[in-house]
Amino acid sequence: MKTASKLNFGEKGIISDIDNTHPSFRRILEIGFTPGQEIQLINSSAFNDPLAFSLRGTLIAIRKQEADCIILS
Amino acid sequence: MNADSAVKLQLITLVGPPNSGKTTLFNLLSGKNLKTVNYPGSTVEYSIGKIQSKFGIKADVLDSPGIISLNPNSPDEEISVNSLYNHPIYGSPNFLITTVDASQISRHLLLSMQLIASGFDIIVVLTMNDLMEKRGFRVDEKKLSEELGCKVIKVNGRTGEGIDNLVIWLKQKIDNDRIEIRENNHNNRIIPKKIFENAEKEQLLKLYSDIEEIEKKVITPLPVISEKNFRNANKSLKILNPTLKSGNNQPDELTLKIDKYLLSKRLGLIFFFLIMSVMFTSIFWVADPFMSLIDDFFGWLSSITLAFLGNTWYGDLIADGIISGTGSVLVFLPQILILFLILGLLEDTGYLARGAMLIDKPLSKIGLNGKSFVPMLSGFACAIPAILSARTISNRRERLLTIFIIPLMSCSARLPVYALLIAFLTPSDKLWLGGIALAVIYIVSIIGSLIVAAIVNRFNKRLIKAEDNSSFILELPAYRLPKAKVVIRNSIDNAKQYIFRAGPVIMVLSMIIWFLTYFPNHNPVIDETGLNTEQIEQMIKSERLATSYAADLGKFIQPVMTPLGMDWRVGVALISAFAAREVFVSSLVLIFRVTDSGDIRSSMISAMRNAKIEATGEQLFTPATTLGLIVFFMFALQCLSTVAVSRKETGGWRIPILQIVIFTSTAYILTLFTVNILRFAGIA
Ligand SMILES: Nc1nc2c(ncn2[C@@H]2O[C@H](COP(=O)(O)OP(=O)(O)O)[C@@H](O)[C@H]2O)c(=O)[nH]1
Ligand SMILES: [Mg+2]
Repeated sequence: MKTASKLNFGEKGIISDIDNTHPSFRRILEIGFTPGQEIQLINSSAFNDPLAFSLRGTLIAIRKQEADCIILS
Repeated sequence: MNADSAVKLQLITLVGPPNSGKTTLFNLLSGKNLKTVNYPGSTVEYSIGKIQSKFGIKADVLDSPGIISLNPNSPDEEISVNSLYNHPIYGSPNFLITTVDASQISRHLLLSMQLIASGFDIIVVLTMNDLMEKRGFRVDEKKLSEELGCKVIKVNGRTGEGIDNLVIWLKQKIDNDRIEIRENNHNNRIIPKKIFENAEKEQLLKLYSDIEEIEKKVITPLPVISEKNFRNANKSLKILNPTLKSGNNQPDELTLKIDKYLLSKRLGLIFFFLIMSVMFTSIFWVADPFMSLIDDFFGWLSSITLAFLGNTWYGDLIADGIISGTGSVLVFLPQILILFLILGLLEDTGYLARGAMLIDKPLSKIGLNGKSFVPMLSGFACAIPAILSARTISNRRERLLTIFIIPLMSCSARLPVYALLIAFLTPSDKLWLGGIALAVIYIVSIIGSLIVAAIVNRFNKRLIKAEDNSSFILELPAYRLPKAKVVIRNSIDNAKQYIFRAGPVIMVLSMIIWFLTYFPNHNPVIDETGLNTEQIEQMIKSERLATSYAADLGKFIQPVMTPLGMDWRVGVALISAFAAREVFVSSLVLIFRVTDSGDIRSSMISAMRNAKIEATGEQLFTPATTLGLIVFFMFALQCLSTVAVSRKETGGWRIPILQIVIFTSTAYILTLFTVNILRFAGIA
């Protein structure tokens, strides 16, 4: 199962599901990471965490551990 | 209908996602000048204002912190959500204006849809249409209005275009509402409970799929125009990055390009430190010429006052007590203004969110969060708004720890103190050294605060209770050119507030200190034989001080000051600094009676060079004691307003009391070490 945290820089993926056991899952959904959306890994901080994704025409930074609940198809 | 309800103004509340232009719209409607920041989560408190009279509407508007959905996730969001139902002071709003960033429509409509579903009466204001058009798209507001079933109006926050439409519509709306109220006296609009409180995944997903349908219908590409025309059109709109080809679902291209550097793996941190250090060092350099101007003015004012009033007690009070005292602090106003200006510029560009992201990892290691970055940075201006802005941190433990260390950030009230002490330490022709010294002070205070955070986090789990989910989810907004007018106006407002806050305190304390140092023996008898007038003058002054009330008071402080290599005179100045840190400077001016004509700064420094400890005859201000004082001011918690806000925001006395005790004792101990180690090392 591939999650958003496994993307390479510049790589795109389509969200298939959000793991709803993750404590941040509601916020992740609310901010726009919904199934069917295409995301792309754009940047990360110098410490490899958090990661910045392109989503719905904007950039959103989330921690790796949070990107792990975004399941890609 | 009773008189009360006729007088009571209607309440319009502004709600919307963070960074969607609420505060900008609030400023347009109310004519106020609240700070707008290109950072999600810049407003953490309500502001209320009346709609400007020029619009001919009698109603209050309320600005609120941004929310993504009706499920609050942090204290600032909770404030907003609660105010939708019932504001503790202003009651429940008559209707809502919801801002939606047109270029973010697929995310921002979520809140509007939730509000409509919960039965709120809303008007949607579409903002940032200019950015959308830059991408070659527009939103059809008529179609959107049909889809949502509520009024949609476009407003350009930067030019104010479209505000008239909104006003016309508000006017109608308010008139209609009034009739309704007359008809059924009771306003029995059912306030829906938070129906989304337990909204599960399915509901959210359903909403999003509805939004996607709507999005398809309302977004249309602009008619293609030649690239050249397009660029020109954009130039006149002052848009950063004219691009023709990018699609609507791509982030701003220029932003991506800038981020290649500013967020690059190798260079990101270097840029981060570069930006921070340029910021701190320039405070010193840029301000200097302006400071000399103010300085000359006050020096001149003080000398003509003295010449006019003669050598009387009231001449001394006005020239020394009031003019030199107040002037000695106001001299540093340009530095404070420039600090605000630089912070404002940085805030408006959109870099803050990147800064937060860059240091999230290291901060999370010591129990803080990337989102602590913005509160910490604004702590350099003033701890009070900084403590409030910690509300954006959702994890309570991280928020409390952030609040805990904010008083250690070198706030603007400390600038005059540092500037004076640095000027004493560095030769005046080496201005660059002063700038660097200031930057070093800032850096050391940051490192110090991080060490404190790490220690508190490591050893005292009970101090601040643990909380499970630590999270960092932050939108990185597109870069924008700061709007110079707004930034300048904000900085001037801040500087004015600074004068009105600190000014009276400084003046009152200056008079108190003047009184304590002038009486009771204001006309001492001295042996004048063989002395010239200047020496007599000097003798009278020192004799008067040595027998003054301040000297009596000083006897109590002397034992605490002796280990630090200082005497009671510095002690009195330090105590007076608890009223406001800047008062330290004005107190020194009074105690050492700096009256020379010319500029206050240089005569203050020469007075400091000449000062001797009475008991031993040693130099009072040496590099060791001066550095010691800098260390003291870096750590000591000397601000009562900070204590009050800390109590309110943490919900108890525990944290503010710990802050006072820990920081002030640390300050004393570190000063003790600094002074004595430096002396031991041979640096007197
Ligand atoms: N280009 C453009 N920028 C805007 C517009 N409205 C607001 N802004 C900018 O967007 C940023 C966020 O605005 P602000 O009012 O603080 O948003 P809030 O967080 O919703 O209160 C600021 O930098 C504003 O100057 C607009 O219509 N067009
Ligand atoms: Mg705001």
